[in-house]
Amino acid sequence: MKKLLALVLTGVLGVSLLTACGSSSSAPSAAAETASTEGEAASVEAEASSGSALDKDTLIIGTNAAFPPFEYAGDDGTPAGFDIDLINAIGEKLGKKVEVKDMEFDSLVASIGNKIDIAIAGMTVTEERQKMVDFSDSYYEAVQNVIVAKDSAIASADDLKNKKIGVQLGTTGDFIASDIEGSEVSQYNKAVDAVNDLLNGRVDCVIIDANPAQEFVSQHAEELTALEGTQFGFETENYAIAMPKGDTALVEAVNQALKELKEDGTFDKLVAANITGE
Amino acid sequence: MTIGEKFTAAFIAENRWQLYLKGLGITIEIAFFAAIIGLMLGTVLALMNLSTHKNGKPAVVHYLATAYVDIIRGTPSVLQLLIMWFIVMKSSNNGVLVASLSFGLNSAAYVSEIVRAGILAVDKGQMEAGRSLGLTKGMTMRYVVLPQAMKNIIPPMGNEFITLLKETAIVGYVSLNDLTRAANLIQSRTYEAFMPLIGAAVIYFVVIKALTLALGVLERRLRRSDNR
Repeated sequence: MKKLLALVLTGVLGVSLLTACGSSSSAPSAAAETASTEGEAASVEAEASSGSALDKDTLIIGTNAAFPPFEYAGDDGTPAGFDIDLINAIGEKLGKKVEVKDMEFDSLVASIGNKIDIAIAGMTVTEERQKMVDFSDSYYEAVQNVIVAKDSAIASADDLKNKKIGVQLGTTGDFIASDIEGSEVSQYNKAVDAVNDLLNGRVDCVIIDANPAQEFVSQHAEELTALEGTQFGFETENYAIAMPKGDTALVEAVNQALKELKEDGTFDKLVAANITGE
Repeated sequence: MTIGEKFTAAFIAENRWQLYLKGLGITIEIAFFAAIIGLMLGTVLALMNLSTHKNGKPAVVHYLATAYVDIIRGTPSVLQLLIMWFIVMKSSNNGVLVASLSFGLNSAAYVSEIVRAGILAVDKGQMEAGRSLGLTKGMTMRYVVLPQAMKNIIPPMGNEFITLLKETAIVGYVSLNDLTRAANLIQSRTYEAFMPLIGAAVIYFVVIKALTLALGVLERRLRRSDNR
């Protein structure tokens, strides 16, 4: 009995230690600190009720630099690409410094409101994500593509059933693939790893957003080809910038900046420079 | 979300608990096969490392073994796994096999050092006594030195197995759904980090605690002959 009690106490102590460590490191803002013991969602709420990220001089931006041409590791190793240029332009409009952090895509949403203020990562607006964060107006439309080997027979939604599908963890492609009947889904940290395993023959196809798909295929033009998602019945998606739930001041400011950038032509210039080429 | 809702989302909704169990299965499978490979290859490496010519100079195999240990210990296991997955065995579809082999080859280097230390800790006089009684070198090693070395080897070996089990948490890099990856996956679905991560941590802890207790029993059993 005594031993059991000791064991239980040790367990409780262990868990409380873990949570204590977690909260002190994951609460950079004073607002989040107050409610950090309950983890991410709690600190998101705390952020919402007591002030906006707009009060800060520097906005911490989270991205996943493995999604060309929207974001990728630039020549100096720091994230570069369309989203990064866009958020820098928005930061300029808002008069804020912008600090970009590269992290895993699947942890971006959970990090908003505690580790980062804003996430821009070619992120599609979904209902599930909207429960946790607020999105800006959409700034780009895309559809998922299916990358297959040149000689592959995959051409329609039915062909995807019972196939091995490679995706990046937590992306729209991951959600779509997981819902396909009989599919065996391999989730990778980076889309390029999935593409490599497609080349190695470990997966039959890779489902990923159109622009990165084109990018990957152009690097392996002889072996691979990207098929439009519309022929598989995939819906068009909207990319948007994710911000803490309830921080309407920030959302409005970002939307306003986005609107101005579209009006003064900066937005189109960035698209031309990063996505359509030239 | 309340704590209860978070718990439901992380463990119960859409039978997510099955993901943790499957993940734990993969983790244990990889660790088990890696431990077997590590134990066998590691013992061979240790004996290679200790082998000498008649004049006492190190044999050629000694240099092979030390080179192997140096290379394995000098590179991160994540890289070894990625190299194994994307380069060496890139045509293999069996992820568990690739991971087991990668971790097994890695573990062998550490096991060989443990076995070597265990053998060296047995007094030199034991070998001399065996030899002077007319046993061959191999026989003395097998019947006199190794049984005594076993007792030195067991505790650090248990430590190595525990490290190995936890080290398998990196197989998510090559898209294997182990326990850690299951937690990541659920986090990517619920956008909530607390429950899946703490849940996975608790499962690891319970498994390793059980392993520790089993090793404790083995150690006590081996120590029985110490009291004369």
